[in-house]
Amino acid sequence: MTFDQWSGGLWPYLAVIVFGFLPSEVWRTLSIFLARDIDEGSQLLEWVRAVSTALLAGVVANILLAPSGALASVPLAARLGAMGFGLAVYFGLRRSVIAAVVAGEAAIIVAAYTFS
Amino acid sequence: MTDTHHRSRLGWFAAGFLHAARLPMFVMALTFLGIGSLAREAGVSMGVALTGTLLIWAGPAQVIFLGAILGGVPLMAIALSVSLSSVRLLPMCVSLLPFLRGPKTSLPATLYTSHMIAVTGWAESISRLPAMAPEARLPWFMGLVHGLYLSASLATIAGYMLSANLPRELAAGLLFVTPIYFIAALVRNVREPIDWLALAFGLALSPVLKPLVGAGFDLLLVGLVGGTAAWAIQRGLKRRAARP
Repeated sequence: MTFDQWSGGLWPYLAVIVFGFLPSEVWRTLSIFLARDIDEGSQLLEWVRAVSTALLAGVVANILLAPSGALASVPLAARLGAMGFGLAVYFGLRRSVIAAVVAGEAAIIVAAYTFS
Repeated sequence: MTDTHHRSRLGWFAAGFLHAARLPMFVMALTFLGIGSLAREAGVSMGVALTGTLLIWAGPAQVIFLGAILGGVPLMAIALSVSLSSVRLLPMCVSLLPFLRGPKTSLPATLYTSHMIAVTGWAESISRLPAMAPEARLPWFMGLVHGLYLSASLATIAGYMLSANLPRELAAGLLFVTPIYFIAALVRNVREPIDWLALAFGLALSPVLKPLVGAGFDLLLVGLVGGTAAWAIQRGLKRRAARP
């Protein structure tokens, strides 16, 4: 069964709820019960925060190493270089995330023009 | 966030919203322009696209959902991929919720709070909430995430209507917003050695574990292995420091 068979009227909305919203939301709902007895400042909370941080860093590495679409046309070295430049600007300009994003974006766009 | 003076709940909400307006709302807008445009490509109506943003409220899951519709993937397989992608929300919600609920918070209120937690909201608040006064946390967080919600919704609509064909160079720039923003936010969030360690392990483990385990489970494993190692090392460091 595909999405096209759920077309017309409110069916596509129901499909979003059943096959998009619920499978995603189940983790948020589960977290409420898992977080119930966790206290601020506990070791368990520190561990979960470290897991989240490592996971998000993994997301970043995934996008950098195996990008999709137009980003894949920029060579790996240039992608890593643009990220390094963004982080250098972050530390150079008093830890500004905005400056890091602007600098990294400028670098990747210049790289995309250069390697075409 | 060293803001310690007293504010009303509305004042904290406004402060959170204004924080979102400094950068995160723009990052959201750039991401969701792409999602709106993908929705149109997938042939769903604008209402369905917007419903997806409001209900799923997780960028990667929405990209998977819409991309799979475009590819004619069976609905059950779509649901499975969406769910695998959203496992990342579990540790994020568990690590934020202790700061966002009191002993008297009702279940519906907690369900709503947890629904509003997504990766950007987590990255902006995880290192700030602990330093804030308990009564400020929830209204500040709600201001922040509703700023993100608004910006993502408007961008979904705009992306759907514009659906422009960007030059390749700008399209590459658009896709680079997510990694550069998150890496800078993670570096900013570092408070203790455990944060550096988790960040470094996450970056390094991803290319190692991805070929070993199938796509989907790799991120969960990167989080568990990298996070546990970082946590264990920090514990070891603290024990050594505490030894007389």
